Amino acid sequence: MTSTEGRMEAALADSTDLRVWDLPVRAMHWLLVIGIGVCWWTGLHNELEYHLWSGYAILWIVLMRLYWGLVGSSTARFVNFVRGPKAILDYASTLHRRDTPHSHGHNALGAISIILMLGLVLVVVGLGLFAVDVDGLYSGPLSSYVTFKQGRHLAHQHYYWFNILLWVIGLHLAAVFFYFIYKRQNLIGPMIHGKRRVDGGDAGDAQMKIAPLWRFAIGGVIVTAIVYAVSIGFYF
Amino acid sequence: MSALGFRCLAAAVCFAFAFAAFEAAAGPAEVAQIKPRQDKLRDMGGALKAINDEIKKGRIDWDNTVIPNAQTIKDRSAYLLNWFPKGSGPESGKKTYALPAIWQKNDDFMKLGKAAQAEAAKLNDIALKKDENGLKAQALATGKACKACHDNYRSPDYEKENEDE
Repeated sequence: MTSTEGRMEAALADSTDLRVWDLPVRAMHWLLVIGIGVCWWTGLHNELEYHLWSGYAILWIVLMRLYWGLVGSSTARFVNFVRGPKAILDYASTLHRRDTPHSHGHNALGAISIILMLGLVLVVVGLGLFAVDVDGLYSGPLSSYVTFKQGRHLAHQHYYWFNILLWVIGLHLAAVFFYFIYKRQNLIGPMIHGKRRVDGGDAGDAQMKIAPLWRFAIGGVIVTAIVYAVSIGFYF
Repeated sequence: MSALGFRCLAAAVCFAFAFAAFEAAAGPAEVAQIKPRQDKLRDMGGALKAINDEIKKGRIDWDNTVIPNAQTIKDRSAYLLNWFPKGSGPESGKKTYALPAIWQKNDDFMKLGKAAQAEAAKLNDIALKKDENGLKAQALATGKACKACHDNYRSPDYEKENEDE
């Protein structure tokens, strides 16, 4: 079956939508976008009082995403989308082709950028926890464990690694744009409504296995406790 | 013209030229303020951090940390407004994040500087009284008084470059 036929079939079929992203994944994705935007603006304008709050929000989201990567819905789990070098190279070798099927969830190459972005956000937030502002006014919650000079150095590192993160986010956006223009695959819609259309190559894909929301709630309680402990510098 | 009159005129011309040159180029005394000023301001930031660390820990060491650091901030702030003579801005050619607005809107700059001095003095009083409830609010008020000046009169570039050594 050629892919054109497959697409026509899919277009004619009634149940053409596959669920690909569950609510927690989508919510965390867009909250992270907002959180990083707020942190960027407040950081540049030295509004550190609010920068601290948006930083805690990002820490919460990233820890929740890590938790969800272990126990969440099938497409959210790391074991289902982090691949070895061979799978990555195989996928990369088909990148130039326009007729490749949709990946259900993250593709092998996209997985690298997901891990890279999550890791970089953790690095930037981690440095921020110890960073000291030059006025000694709104320092990170763990800054009392470092000297003023060390904390200033970490603040510069915080800034440096944020710029690296921005480049990787730029690459992520460029990839989404590439899929939209070149491969005619809309990746933004599914991240909003959670569903994607079935196409020829992958009609046999299994539906996403959805994890129950109560499991997310349990993680939420644990992660909130962790973030709170960090925010008070572990001084109970 | 008498010889004396000529000498007076010559002296006046020399003085005028010297004064003009003094106004145009920053003198060494002004430029010499830049580095110590940065060091002293950084010490004040470090002192406020030390006080804020005690507040975070919830076990406040008044005698070894809060009182000496509050004293540092108060003492330094008293000289604060002497550290910015005209000519010690970016026009000096030296690396400084002091913005020209300091001298263009000098009245406002002076007002903010005096407000910071007042807050620093209050912080010192609270430290000496070991007033735990007042300390947190006053450390915040002092920091905000410092920041008020920094928001308008310090180049945001200071955050981009690692020159704290």
